[in-house]
Amino acid sequence: MTYLDLSAIGLRYGDNVILDGIDLSVEQGEMHVLLGPSGCGKTTLLRSIAGLVQPDRGAIHLAGRAIEMLHPKDRGIGMVFQHYALFPNMTVRQNLAFGLEQRRLVRKVIDEKIDAVLEIVSLQNKADARPRQLSGGQKQRVALARALVLEPSLLLLDEPLSALDAQIRKRLRDELKRIQRRTGLTSILVTHDQDEALSLGDRISVMNNGRITQTASGPEIFYRPADLFVAKFIGNANILTAAEFSRLIGRDFDQTAIIHPHVFKIGKASEGSNLFEVAATVVETVAAGNVVRYVMQANGIMFNVEAQSAMNEECLAAGTGTTLSINPSNGHFLKEN
Amino acid sequence: MSHHASPAMKLLAAPFLLMLAALVVWPLATVLIDSFSKGGVWSLGNYAEILTSAYYGQSFVNSLLISAVTTAIGVLFGFLIAVSLRYRSGGTRRIAMALANIGANLAGVPLAMALIFLLGLNGTLTIVLKASGLIGSFNVYSLTGLIIAYCYFQIALAVLLIIPVLDGIETELEEAASLIGVGTTRFWLRVGLPVVGRQMVAITTLLFANAMGTYATTLALTGTSVNVITIRISELVSGDVFSDPNLANAIAIALFLVLLVPIVVSQLLLKGDKR
Ligand SMILES: Nc1ncnc2c1ncn2[C@@H]1O[C@H](COP(=O)(O)OP(=O)(O)O)[C@@H](O)[C@H]1O
Ligand SMILES: [Mg+2]
Repeated sequence: MTYLDLSAIGLRYGDNVILDGIDLSVEQGEMHVLLGPSGCGKTTLLRSIAGLVQPDRGAIHLAGRAIEMLHPKDRGIGMVFQHYALFPNMTVRQNLAFGLEQRRLVRKVIDEKIDAVLEIVSLQNKADARPRQLSGGQKQRVALARALVLEPSLLLLDEPLSALDAQIRKRLRDELKRIQRRTGLTSILVTHDQDEALSLGDRISVMNNGRITQTASGPEIFYRPADLFVAKFIGNANILTAAEFSRLIGRDFDQTAIIHPHVFKIGKASEGSNLFEVAATVVETVAAGNVVRYVMQANGIMFNVEAQSAMNEECLAAGTGTTLSINPSNGHFLKEN
Repeated sequence: MSHHASPAMKLLAAPFLLMLAALVVWPLATVLIDSFSKGGVWSLGNYAEILTSAYYGQSFVNSLLISAVTTAIGVLFGFLIAVSLRYRSGGTRRIAMALANIGANLAGVPLAMALIFLLGLNGTLTIVLKASGLIGSFNVYSLTGLIIAYCYFQIALAVLLIIPVLDGIETELEEAASLIGVGTTRFWLRVGLPVVGRQMVAITTLLFANAMGTYATTLALTGTSVNVITIRISELVSGDVFSDPNLANAIAIALFLVLLVPIVVSQLLLKGDKR
């Protein structure tokens, strides 16, 4: 059953259409990722759900209740901001208590709730620290805890990891996933980073220019993009026009081919299979740990090929000729318009 | 974060330091030295006179009273106005800033005239208030009149100074607060004010000094009839009857010391909660 339902959300600032009829359904307990380039309206959509901006049109239902006219505090939504937005004059404990105090709970209950949440985000020993004494990752965990402690019906996270450096980002990403699983909290996470989207999202909605172009699971989005925009935005697949692909395989073809670099196999196809074989030349070789990335050329078409590296095996040097086999059923094809 | 300047950088500051010496230290030094001269001989007589004279004591009390009251009113209203302007569009903010700019620089004869037209014996507001029975009579040429006059530029100056300070509080903080159910008033009391506390102390000190040193408005509105320090100093410097420049110097030094108190106290206060 749909837990959060957005229908036809529209918003414009002056003449600029920011949200252009957004429909979105999120299931209970789902981690839903909104992925899109900077400026496509992700933050605005999140803020519309939270009630921090009022859309011009559209309806929002959360757990069967129409919430689009409610004040933010009455929506039961928690939010984590990109730049933490912690109250700088308060300790971690005070930051978490601020919302609970508003609910007129007794001190003992407040303290118990705070301790429980601090344990979830592994910050028990930082309860009395002030925000400026914490690292970026710790600050963001406090921000998460501040949202969690109020037990919201929905958690919104606006690029929560993008202000952190690469290592911390990866660690906190895994932790975020673990916490979301553990609490079972329905969440929407905004990001412009495809790795983050693919590794966190139960489902992903790709946004472009105020519209959602595709909503699907990570693998589906990765291997079967609905259109060229999604194909270009996700992964680094080779996108070959019908004409280019026809030239490559030497056969007439009328669709745009989306072929991931690892779909090309180096070596001849086994006897009797219906794979295509192409004679190719290595143009460039980059050995990057467990994978080798090649730029190859065949029949005047340049494309990327990726292969697993092996400990006792040389990779192909630039200039070498080789045979590639392609299994068309591992490619994705889009109608040309 | 502390920056240690290299010797070359320090040398670059030399012209500035020289100018500071010429424009501040030297005049201050001459005022200080002259303040110890009474009737051509060295003595503490000027200071003794200030301390024993009820008249000069009164002028300090009046100045302090007017300054304290108008600083409190200025900071309070300035803060409230600045907070409410935060929620207005850029256009409203710009207009308000322009008005505050005019208000902060409105002093002397124009301000006194405006006030006399409004609140003088036959001022518009006086007549309206009298007719409605709200007041019996009102004398604008008084200490109360001065307080009202000072409030104009004190509030305007406070608005002008507080607006940029509040810009330092990210709107995301307010949004985070509103999402966890904390209302605007509670947000400003518990987060907004404490976050800008240090700057507010500095602004309060500045407003206080501004009021203590006000002269043109005072002279234009009440002449020499209300006993405040700046009027006493000017009278001693340029007056025909009471001329005694060295006593004026001593009063100026005393005023300087009085102003030093809130500055030192606020610095100590801020050091205490250095975060
Ligand atoms: N308050 C506002 N007034 C006018 N335009 C805005 C406002 N907020 C956002 N925008 C515009 O809306 C578009 C989408 O912004 P945003 O939702 O922040 O994008 P994203 O989060 O995907 O980067 C941007 O072009 C931005 O300039
Ligand atoms: Mg954004």
